Amino acid sequence: MFAGKRLSKELLKMKEHLPPGISIAKSENLEEWQMDIQVLDENPLYQNQVYRLKFTFSSKYPIEPPEVQFIELSSTSETPRPIPIHPHIYSNGIICLDLLSSAGWSPVQTVESVCMSIQSMLTANTRDERPPGDSDFVSYNRRRPRDINFFYDDDNV
Amino acid sequence: MNIDEFLAMEPCSDLDEVVDLRSLDYVSSYDDHLMCAICHCPYIRPVRLQCDHVFCQKCLNTAITTFATGRHEFKCPTCRAPAKGVYLSVPRFLVNMCDDIRVKCPFEAEGCKEIVPRGHVQSHVDKYCGYRLMDCPDLFCTKKTRKKDLSAENKCMHELHQCLRCDEEVMEQDYQEHVQELCPSLKTTCPDCEATVFRKALREHIDACPEAIHSCAASKYGCPVKVKRAELVVHEQNCPLITMGPYFEAQNARLDSMELTIRHLQQRNEIFEDGLASIRSTLVESSRVMSARNADVPAETNSQIRPSNPSVPENEQYDNSSASSNATTYLLALHESLREEVGQLSHAITDLDARASMAIMNECLRLKEDMAHTNAAVSSIRMQVQWLMNPRIHQGQRTGVRTSNNNNNNETRTGQLGSSTSGPSNAAGPSPGLLRPRRLSDSGREGTKL
Repeated sequence: MFAGKRLSKELLKMKEHLPPGISIAKSENLEEWQMDIQVLDENPLYQNQVYRLKFTFSSKYPIEPPEVQFIELSSTSETPRPIPIHPHIYSNGIICLDLLSSAGWSPVQTVESVCMSIQSMLTANTRDERPPGDSDFVSYNRRRPRDINFFYDDDNV
Repeated sequence: MNIDEFLAMEPCSDLDEVVDLRSLDYVSSYDDHLMCAICHCPYIRPVRLQCDHVFCQKCLNTAITTFATGRHEFKCPTCRAPAKGVYLSVPRFLVNMCDDIRVKCPFEAEGCKEIVPRGHVQSHVDKYCGYRLMDCPDLFCTKKTRKKDLSAENKCMHELHQCLRCDEEVMEQDYQEHVQELCPSLKTTCPDCEATVFRKALREHIDACPEAIHSCAASKYGCPVKVKRAELVVHEQNCPLITMGPYFEAQNARLDSMELTIRHLQQRNEIFEDGLASIRSTLVESSRVMSARNADVPAETNSQIRPSNPSVPENEQYDNSSASSNATTYLLALHESLREEVGQLSHAITDLDARASMAIMNECLRLKEDMAHTNAAVSSIRMQVQWLMNPRIHQGQRTGVRTSNNNNNNETRTGQLGSSTSGPSNAAGPSPGLLRPRRLSDSGREGTKL
């Protein structure tokens, strides 16, 4: 109830105004939203690409963080959405960002602010690589993103 | 106060609240600064942290109790400064501004149209709202009644009554409304022909009403005529678009079937394109394997003759170009490179052949020369041996003469050895007693070897 109320308020506000490069792709219910984000500057890694973020909200949102990950839509579909290359984004779309962990989360964050954080995380990146151990993680990981204990050891990117 | 005291005081302060202020429908827009960052509602019972960030009491409470690393580590959700204490005193104007925001009555769904400031909504619901749902006075009835419908006699308003006209069963509280407005047996007038009909028959009447205005049946083909139903029959007999109607229908059907065919063909085309793409990818794959094999073979056979193998970079170049050019030119290029490869190989083989025959010839010459040398040496040795043997033969003959002399046989000495050299052997044979055993063997060899 708390989550639904807050989310409908956020949605109302986002439909009025959104920062450039961020748009709502799907918001049919109050459990799962999809957002499209774009990197706006000249970064050659992400130029002319749109990426799709999936937000999954628990009933305790915003006290608990939402589950946020990139999802891939195949290049043959009408709206192709790849997974961006980044040293903190695994190729299955899981994002290693302390903001999204229960320790780094703060209830004042909104869907909009999370999108902007991820946008700036992409903008600042210059490394054309996946996290170390990406293929192992992708093939063996069956946990949900919030159950994974990431080590936030790299503050550079 | 510190955080523990704050958490302890929370439960008892919420008891008198009936209205959930967060789920109210806010009518007037409110400033973002009046909004709690956690629940996004105007502050409800605002409290303040040491960093001057304000939150609703309830929101802050939930945030502290669910904070991951423990309540004493709690940091301000907005600025992450350590929250050492919670202050209940916030500026009065903040509370007033939040309470002044207009909201709809929570019983809007029941029919209350009231819009009041948020600060008054509690008293409105408590005292004035006639639509508030109350428990039925009848202890055995579990239904709820609007406050205004409660009868003075405190009797249950949920008994069913049968409508005298339409036989429908209606609750007592809704009976008045049903009889006056909703009952299907009530009469009503048609908006077109002003005939009076029953409410339940109104829909059928409108469909058939001769006065109702209808558009021509050919309106979908562009006929703009709209006349009363009675006149429509006359119009439709003369309407040119209606006579064209069947032709339009046929054309529409054709268009539909063609669109269907096009879609079908598009699908097939997609399938073919997919197949083509997969064939192309397998070609690229196989050519890669072949070029790898080509790179291996010359490296084994020709490594001595041609250490740098030109075929490998060429094949790579063809691999790159194959992505852009079509399959045929790619195949031709591949064929060309293979042909060149074969030419190079045959050239290398003739080269090797020439080298081998040259080497064999050199070797033969050398061997011939050696053999000539050996022959010469052998003949010279033979001559020496002959030269060495000659005096022995003479000696042997002379001793033989000497024994025959001893036996008084003088003819042999003059007859056999009169022509051969006799001077030196006369001096070499003074000791017949010493040479006697060797003479036997020498004389044995004489007959066989020389």
